[in-house]
Amino acid sequence: MVQSIVLSGLAIGCIYALIGITYNVMFSASRVFSFTAGTLGMIGGVLGSLFILRMGMPIPIGFLLALAGGALLGLVTEIVAVRPVLKSLDQHLYVLSTLALALMVQQFTAIEWSTEAQPFPRLLGTARSAFDEQFWLPMLACLAVIVGLELLYRHTLIGRAFLAIAEDTYAARALGLPERSLRMTSFALAGAIGALAGFAGGEMLLAFFGNAPLLTFYGFVPVALGGMGNNRGAVVAGLLLGLFQQSANFLVGGIFASVAVFTVFIIVLLARPEGLAGAALQRRV
Amino acid sequence: MSITRRQALKSASAAVLATTIAKPAIAAKDPILIGYLPALTGPSSSTGIGINRGVQLAVQEINNAGGVDGRQIELIVRDTQSDPTKAVNGAAELTRGQKVNFVFGPVNSGEALAVVPMLARINVPQLHPCWVDTLADPTKYPLCFRNGPTNQQIGGAANRYVVETMKLKKVAVISDTTGYGTASVVAYVPMLKAIGADVVYQAHVDASNPDVKPEMLRMQAAGAEAVMPWSVNAGFLSRLINTRGQMGWDVPIVGQTTLGSGQTKALLDKPEHWAKVYPNNFRPCCYDATGKLPERTKVFVDRVRAAKIDMNDTLLWWIALGYDSPMLVADAIKHVGTEPEKIVGYLNQLKGFPGVYGDIAFTPEQHNGYPDRQIVMVEANSLKDGAFNMAPGYGAA
Repeated sequence: MVQSIVLSGLAIGCIYALIGITYNVMFSASRVFSFTAGTLGMIGGVLGSLFILRMGMPIPIGFLLALAGGALLGLVTEIVAVRPVLKSLDQHLYVLSTLALALMVQQFTAIEWSTEAQPFPRLLGTARSAFDEQFWLPMLACLAVIVGLELLYRHTLIGRAFLAIAEDTYAARALGLPERSLRMTSFALAGAIGALAGFAGGEMLLAFFGNAPLLTFYGFVPVALGGMGNNRGAVVAGLLLGLFQQSANFLVGGIFASVAVFTVFIIVLLARPEGLAGAALQRRV
Repeated sequence: MSITRRQALKSASAAVLATTIAKPAIAAKDPILIGYLPALTGPSSSTGIGINRGVQLAVQEINNAGGVDGRQIELIVRDTQSDPTKAVNGAAELTRGQKVNFVFGPVNSGEALAVVPMLARINVPQLHPCWVDTLADPTKYPLCFRNGPTNQQIGGAANRYVVETMKLKKVAVISDTTGYGTASVVAYVPMLKAIGADVVYQAHVDASNPDVKPEMLRMQAAGAEAVMPWSVNAGFLSRLINTRGQMGWDVPIVGQTTLGSGQTKALLDKPEHWAKVYPNNFRPCCYDATGKLPERTKVFVDRVRAAKIDMNDTLLWWIALGYDSPMLVADAIKHVGTEPEKIVGYLNQLKGFPGVYGDIAFTPEQHNGYPDRQIVMVEANSLKDGAFNMAPGYGAA
């Protein structure tokens, strides 16, 4: 039982963490919480199944095209749902605009793809075992993204430019950084990360339009718990969420598992509104 | 020449009289208008598309044979798009705009829940096959008749199969968190207990959770000898079946028709995981122990094949149900005409209408026309040409 809790808990936790990172990458570039993050995860699974199973493409090609599809949707998010509301961030219009876009994509997927869960390909075709590829693929994807982002942010010029934008948009623009291009690149990157979450977790979650709201909600929990914009916090909180959710599934079961997750979520936020790893918000007076 | 007011009135009276006298002769040649509310598109359309093939075949056969007393049947179709709102709009247009003589449909419970109360206020007879228990009530909806089973009958058949045929007493009953799922568990658990079962585990499960192993382990630990999941979610059901296979647990899974659907099959890790899975179905549309369909059904299937209707991507009972419905309406109109009260009076006395899907009977107090004995369980992995083998333990009809 412990093995099952740990394996499936870490796997689903990695998917949540990746969606949390998707939120954060978009947030860092724009100060906008885009609720298309879960939809990007869903679209990764659906496009993977579409390209590989329905269209018969080789897995590497299908994988790259699924990531490209996610990146494209990330760009569309920036252009359609984020850019028009950037000037009025204090009114939180982005909640409506990004949710509206997410719902549109979700409904379009339901109509054009299917309202039923569809099969997702067995990516490596390994024999089924306790430590199955459906569990370790999301872990591998999460590790690759963490390492990749660390390398990007710490060791490349463009990565430092991303950090500069995230730190202070006005100062970065005053220094001559192309803020709009960097923001669009961030959204494309976030789209690809979201699609990777859905693709790597496709064997668990299947190619299902209904995964979008699931990932939107559960993917937001690591962001809130880990501290907004804090990728390391999102990863730790995502893994804890997955493990806690699976433990609750085993211990209390049924719908009570979801109740347990959100009860703990609310208690943690009441105790630490800035999140477990976030810094307390300071207001200049 | 001037026309006096008296002459004008006489002329008008004569014209009205002539029109009135001529009307029955013209009416006898008018088509019979049957309003039809299938879901041909949208998420629930697989059922509607299957049923529609049977409906179209029946109307074609009736009209080719000369119609009903010389009157052709005109089917006026409004696709509900699997949407209750569009179903209500369609029903209103059929009854108020098109003035149909009868309405068949909707064919999904969600749409019927919206349409049935509305039609009850318009005095148009209605026939539908939807399963939700409250959708046929002679007191509230005296013009509405059901030619399909109720949820109580569906659950009852599954319960009897587990307890009386398989002789299993320890049962786990679970559902997803939809209204259908939760209502089914609430309804079926007392029914199981009433026939001597020990419900060792019951739960409502979040169907979006990708890992159902905890639930399966709990059911196993509780000593369940049969698992009865109530859900139409193919993803959820396939996860249960796959997890059972991965655990190497040999427990039978018995329940809703979706367990035997193509969508569920497509999500299985291995085809052999589908063994010992028994969904609901209907005896007249199943293969018996010798692999044969009942004679009446066999003749029907030959006609379906002759009409080049595809049966590989749908279920035989959907086509049969669709076929029987216009036949039943035509039978009533042939006997008593198109007056709503006379049709209702005829249907209220209907005894054993010989349908392909099943023999239908109504009384003034009972508008649920499908008999219990024709609801059976089948082997999910035996699907061939839209029909299944009956599950082990069923004798001849």
